[in-house]
Amino acid sequence: MSTFNALMREIKFTARDRTVVFWMVTVLGLSAISLAFGLAEVKHQQATIQQLLDANQQERDAEFEKLKDWGSAAYYTFHLTYDAPSDFAFAALGQRDVQPWKHRIRMLALEGQIYERDVGNPSIALIGRFDFAFFTAFIVPLVLIILLYDLRASEKTAGRYNLLEATVGQSSSFWFLRAAVRSGALFLCLIATLFIAGMIAGTAVSKLLLAGLWVLIYIIFWTVICFFIAAWRKPGSVILMTLITVWVSTAVILPALSRLAIDKLVPVPPGADILMMQRETVNDAWDLPRETTMNAFFEEHPQWSDYQQVESSFEWQWYYAFQQVGDQKTRDLSTAYQNGRLQRADIAAWVSLLAPPSLLERSLQALANTDLNTSIDYEESVRAYHAALREFYYPKFFLNQPFDKALLKNLPKFEPNQ
Amino acid sequence: MKSILLIAASEWRYWLRSHLALAAALIFFVLIIAVSVLTAARMEAEKHARSHQQAEAEETFLAQPDRHPHRMVHYGHYLFRTPAPLSIFDPGLDTVTGQSIFLEGHRQNTVMFAESSASADFGGLSWLSPALVYQLFAPLVIILLGHGCISRERESSVLTPLLAMGISGHQLILGKALALVSFTVLLLLPLIASGAIALANGESVVALLSLFGVYGAYLLIWVILTLLISATLSKRSTALGAMTGLWIGFCLVLPSIAVNITTDAKTVAGKIETDLTMLSDLRKLGDGHNANDPAFQQLRADLLKQHDVERIEDLPVNFRGVVAMASEEKLTKVLNEYAESRMLAELQQEQHLLDYGLLTPVLAIASASRAIAGTDLAHYHHFQREAEAVRFDFVQGLNRAHVEELSYENDINRNKDEASWQRARIDASNWQVLEKFEFQTTNISERVSTVSSSIQMLLLWMLIAFGALLWRGGKIKP
Repeated sequence: MSTFNALMREIKFTARDRTVVFWMVTVLGLSAISLAFGLAEVKHQQATIQQLLDANQQERDAEFEKLKDWGSAAYYTFHLTYDAPSDFAFAALGQRDVQPWKHRIRMLALEGQIYERDVGNPSIALIGRFDFAFFTAFIVPLVLIILLYDLRASEKTAGRYNLLEATVGQSSSFWFLRAAVRSGALFLCLIATLFIAGMIAGTAVSKLLLAGLWVLIYIIFWTVICFFIAAWRKPGSVILMTLITVWVSTAVILPALSRLAIDKLVPVPPGADILMMQRETVNDAWDLPRETTMNAFFEEHPQWSDYQQVESSFEWQWYYAFQQVGDQKTRDLSTAYQNGRLQRADIAAWVSLLAPPSLLERSLQALANTDLNTSIDYEESVRAYHAALREFYYPKFFLNQPFDKALLKNLPKFEPNQ
Repeated sequence: MKSILLIAASEWRYWLRSHLALAAALIFFVLIIAVSVLTAARMEAEKHARSHQQAEAEETFLAQPDRHPHRMVHYGHYLFRTPAPLSIFDPGLDTVTGQSIFLEGHRQNTVMFAESSASADFGGLSWLSPALVYQLFAPLVIILLGHGCISRERESSVLTPLLAMGISGHQLILGKALALVSFTVLLLLPLIASGAIALANGESVVALLSLFGVYGAYLLIWVILTLLISATLSKRSTALGAMTGLWIGFCLVLPSIAVNITTDAKTVAGKIETDLTMLSDLRKLGDGHNANDPAFQQLRADLLKQHDVERIEDLPVNFRGVVAMASEEKLTKVLNEYAESRMLAELQQEQHLLDYGLLTPVLAIASASRAIAGTDLAHYHHFQREAEAVRFDFVQGLNRAHVEELSYENDINRNKDEASWQRARIDASNWQVLEKFEFQTTNISERVSTVSSSIQMLLLWMLIAFGALLWRGGKIKP
């Protein structure tokens, strides 16, 4: 019962401390702001996707007249692919400002299209958004530091320190209780706003609970660090600066150095090389004997190797075959580029275990499907869709099926990842 | 005057005895020097790699064999954005914008392959640069050294005798300010080292002085704010707490919140969205690959009349080339119109963001720093415009060769058989239309003029803070 009484006493005491109340209101307000803007941005991105889908359909309708055969149908029909924001994206917008999440593609060589960057204003991406993940991972520890660094020092200045030490039975548990009440209140401010935003967005409860658990662990982690460093018999300013140095090291310096080291350790081929090789292959094909191109094509598509080519006039079969060969020739470089990015992401995931702010931000982004891996998954889904388009058209080309516009409604539809 | 110097000197003596001040200064200098060296190495390597790739791209283009000229239009060319000399201090947008662009006929592509898309991801703060160290961490050191400079005297009851000795509040503040300002100048020394390297790489002295000036002004704002809080709050710990809170707000919270407000209030249509709007406009222009397109009937009639012949076969020039040239020009006009309006929208969005510079001086210094370094949005746009000029020039150069060097007859019969396929090509010496390219920053007066509003914002901050300090200094009481 005495623990309960002590807890109630601390809560009442904390509620009367104007500085603490000020910080709680601030955290509550900032958390709400970050979430409200996150919800608005997700809504905006969803509207953009819908608008693009409509505009692309209109464009297809307008081009419909131009379609004279299967080849021109494949040439003039563009398809919109996109990665829709998840139901938790409002809390961690992550890579969506720097990585493309929409591509408008057609059946030409994919490597020439997939690295297009339809991303927003770089000045905005550089500063970064104030989303819940950034706020919780980077700002909240600083607030905790301010709230906890001078627990004892402030009582000393107020002249109550010795009295408190003498009256409470076990002094360390008393100070821990006081720290826990402050941290707990801060956690409640965060979690309450997050759950309300989650209800508005219709987020899966399991995701919210998992996010809540991570935030809880994170706050406990920083509370413990603050508590132990604040227990030093040193002036408040030394304790504060030590804690801020811990923050700077884990939030900024370690991530920055790790980024440099990992990028150095895992080289990726320069992106421009992929494009250049693709361009060389596609362009050289015009001058190469057609068998060379067709043979390279048949190697991967033996089912069409019976196809008899006509010698010199322009043929769509040949045209799309060298587009395909362009992708085939670039595959090694392109795969190396993708594997390099994935490997960098993997090492970063391990290193971030040493940098808790990065760890929490990355975990929330993974939960929200806004991390680098999701971005690469989306790229994969575009590749799969492009392959499906080829599967649709190749029989039409090589079996010389008569052109029928009505059959175009059977074109594969892009299904975004869930 | 003498008493001001004495106060400043005694403040310095206090810092030199304080382990905390020494440790903080030491950490800062290790950090700034390490980050400067690493950033300089990274950007130099980038510069080297991109210039190399640029030279290679030009060589490959010029080495192409005899071909149909329109094939070269689609073969296209690559440009690489070489980093500015001062990017070793402030890489700015370099990491979040694409490094290379593919140029070809009939299209304006996006700039592709940003470093940030492939880098190990640790969030925004991990793109640490000397500029960011000055923007975020130099204020922290100033706060640490300065928060107690007046409240300490008050706490240790020295303030009363000091004031009784006839030293005015203003003199006290000026003395403390002098100490902090001289320390700030010391903080800025590593900037000069980065600047010297940039100078050796062709940067102007004016740019370095401007950079020194804006960072000096920015840190001075922090000095004044720290003195103000130290003079106002009675306890050292409260002053430190308040300044740390202010630092979190100014450096970490408000710039990002300004981004949220800006993107919500002022949206910029993306590339695909703009492209789709543009396509409906373009459809009216006609297809440049098809010389029989009705959109070119007028051109055809005019040309026949001008040369007084009946059939396009009898023209002394290749009509297909004429059409390609005319349509590229019309098309480019539309493409540029849309590109310009997209860039304008981006600039307006950024301007909107900078309007929130009244909330925090960090937005103003960051934008001024990027602009002076030549790594801001204006330079990214500048690169896109230069790329477009290169694109248009070589495409039209090839089209001119198409008009003059290839006969109409050979051109239309190109698909007949292997021999006609061979005849429909022109000499590779025509590929010399390509000019050498190296991306350069604009001259410094232009750079400074684009940030005049940010500089005014910094000055305004300084004036307001200084005014408040003067007012406060007059009222210093024990």
